[in-house]
Amino acid sequence: MTWSATARGAHQPDNTAFTQQRLPAWQPLLSASIALPLFFCAGLAFIGLGLGLFYSSNGIKELKYDYTGNPGTGNCSACALADQDRAPPLRCSCAWYFSLRELFPGPVYLYYELTNFYQNNRRYSVSRDDTQLSGLASALRHPANECAPYQRRASGLPIAPCGAIANSLFNDSFSLWHQRQPGGPYVEVPLDRTGIAWWTDCHVKFRNPPLVNGSLALAFQGTAPPPNWPRPVYELSPDPNNTGFINQDFVVWMRTAALPTFRKLYARIRQGNYSTGLPRGAYLVNITYNYPVRAFGGHKLIVFSNISWMGGKNPFLGIAYLVVGSLCIIMGFVMLVVYIRYQDQNDEDEDAE
Amino acid sequence: ANDVSMIKSAHIGVGISGQEGLQAVLASDYSFAQFRYLQRLLLVHGRWSYFRMCKFLGYFFYKNFAFTLVHFWFGFFCGFSAQTVYDQWFITLFNIVYTSLPVLAMGIFDQDVSDQNSMDYPQLYEPGQLNLLFNKRQFFICMAHGIYTSLALFFIPYGAFYNVAGEDGQHIADYQSFAVTMATSLVIVVSVQIALDTSYWTVINHVFIWGSIATYFSILFTMHSNGIFGIFPNQFPFVGNVRHSLTQKCIWLVILLTTVASVVPVVIVRFLKMNLCPTLSDQIRQRQKAQKKARPLRSRRPQTRRSSSRRSGYAFAHQEGYGELITSGKNMRAKNPPLTSGLEKTLYNSTSWIENFCKKTTDTVSCFSQDKTVKL
Repeated sequence: MTWSATARGAHQPDNTAFTQQRLPAWQPLLSASIALPLFFCAGLAFIGLGLGLFYSSNGIKELKYDYTGNPGTGNCSACALADQDRAPPLRCSCAWYFSLRELFPGPVYLYYELTNFYQNNRRYSVSRDDTQLSGLASALRHPANECAPYQRRASGLPIAPCGAIANSLFNDSFSLWHQRQPGGPYVEVPLDRTGIAWWTDCHVKFRNPPLVNGSLALAFQGTAPPPNWPRPVYELSPDPNNTGFINQDFVVWMRTAALPTFRKLYARIRQGNYSTGLPRGAYLVNITYNYPVRAFGGHKLIVFSNISWMGGKNPFLGIAYLVVGSLCIIMGFVMLVVYIRYQDQNDEDEDAE
Repeated sequence: ANDVSMIKSAHIGVGISGQEGLQAVLASDYSFAQFRYLQRLLLVHGRWSYFRMCKFLGYFFYKNFAFTLVHFWFGFFCGFSAQTVYDQWFITLFNIVYTSLPVLAMGIFDQDVSDQNSMDYPQLYEPGQLNLLFNKRQFFICMAHGIYTSLALFFIPYGAFYNVAGEDGQHIADYQSFAVTMATSLVIVVSVQIALDTSYWTVINHVFIWGSIATYFSILFTMHSNGIFGIFPNQFPFVGNVRHSLTQKCIWLVILLTTVASVVPVVIVRFLKMNLCPTLSDQIRQRQKAQKKARPLRSRRPQTRRSSSRRSGYAFAHQEGYGELITSGKNMRAKNPPLTSGLEKTLYNSTSWIENFCKKTTDTVSCFSQDKTVKL
């Protein structure tokens, strides 16, 4: 063993900044000069944001109508009476009459809203086959096992599109009629049913299988529609660009909602005379009541709404920002008081030492 | 050799690697060459180790409570069907990739006061002895903090997403956008929390913390891209999501609000605690900071090694030992005029009393000493 005092020993550890924990470092300390101005600025900014959000949400107009048809709530009770745990007879329709006293500023969006419908249930939300829906020819006739019991029909044919989500496709339809003068005829308001789904959904995630001899029906040969569907998937719409898996209503439905109360876009009203909004007058919504919701205590609503820079009507975010902003400012004052009082006390203690 | 059982039965066994052989060193948890290093081991490294470990544990429990309890709240709104609020890939990667490195860096590099101050103020060692930094109470505080954060993380997006439509009227309250919003809020909240917890920011801490957030966003963009959906459609069903949801202002406002709501109470509590009942550690840190500001930065002087001529006394002896020699003072006084290097003086002294010693003891020991003389 050597006793050299200047040379390094064989067992001496490294003397670098890293191994000896001498790395240069920033050592922040939560001091009042940083925390207090930060709290006040943040509080003021949040209050400003909150007010902006709240007022822009308040400026959004919304018109809702619950057409579930519970007894004694309007025209659709007749259709609803037929719906006792099974689908109502097809082509039952009811109407909703309303009138607008002033212009409903546009562009106006028409939504259908469902309540108590748990699209976020785990067993329900895994019951789909994205490979089949992406248009892979090999997956079309081999739906995934997660789709069971909506994987194959009793006849043994594979279901396309498979799964419980596709099977429960919302199939009510609406048409809007406007009576310009009282006692006059009703004119149909054109509903723009295009572009209601996400662009990536319609063009990337959902694709039709390759056409066979130029026909989509032949491409789907050897598959069957889901049990609840009256028509096969390639007949969802007369428009060939909007049928099959890329049908916009189907794509909107397949984008499952996060919470049990949700609304999905049905149409936009922005064509012709109605591009600036819905003018005043009497209106009629003709509803084709197909979808059964009373069995699970759900409600169906139809909603007219317009949009602001932050989306649909939602006062929550504005109120939340106001609350957090004001709490920041209140606590900022509390901290300021504590700091001033106890800093004086600490200075006295240090002077006394 | 009888030191070994003593070392093994202790909580921390320390061996001095000296002339007694290496048995103690091999059996010990820590070993060093001189007894005086024990002070540094306890007051600096031991104290830092306790401090880092407690912070690490507290943060880890908090992070996992915040991450997991969100599913408990979501259960009330998904029919208790055990639906996860986040994307499956996020759950896999959260604890491994997105949040593991910053807390690891904190557990390795964190220091509350400098090593010099740790030695100057031995009272700082008391929290370790009294088990103050991580006990049942601290654990419940971590748990409560995690529960509060999970409440903020779930209910703020819940309120913002309740029955709303997006900026173009299109669907924004869908499950995938909800999942992305919550996952992003969670990563940002826990990263801000670790940034608040870290009190010694080396380069590595910076790289790990900001790098983790950047990694999260890059993996998110990759998993939601068209390319990877084309390869594995069933594994990556979130295609197009980040492009749609993270370009909506509403989502970023939700994320900002969630972060602030989760972090502000922590800042308030720490500030009030520091002002109302500052610990010794806080006071020393403030003094350190004031000193650093007052003193201009000067370059490090190279450490000069003291060439000490005096060796400290040996602690243990199995045989009769050198007690008589030491107390007789023969090895304290130089027989010859002092030489330039203290080392040679020691050599000379040791040669002289070793000669004396050899006359007294057995051959084996003298052989041992003579071997040492040869090496010297």
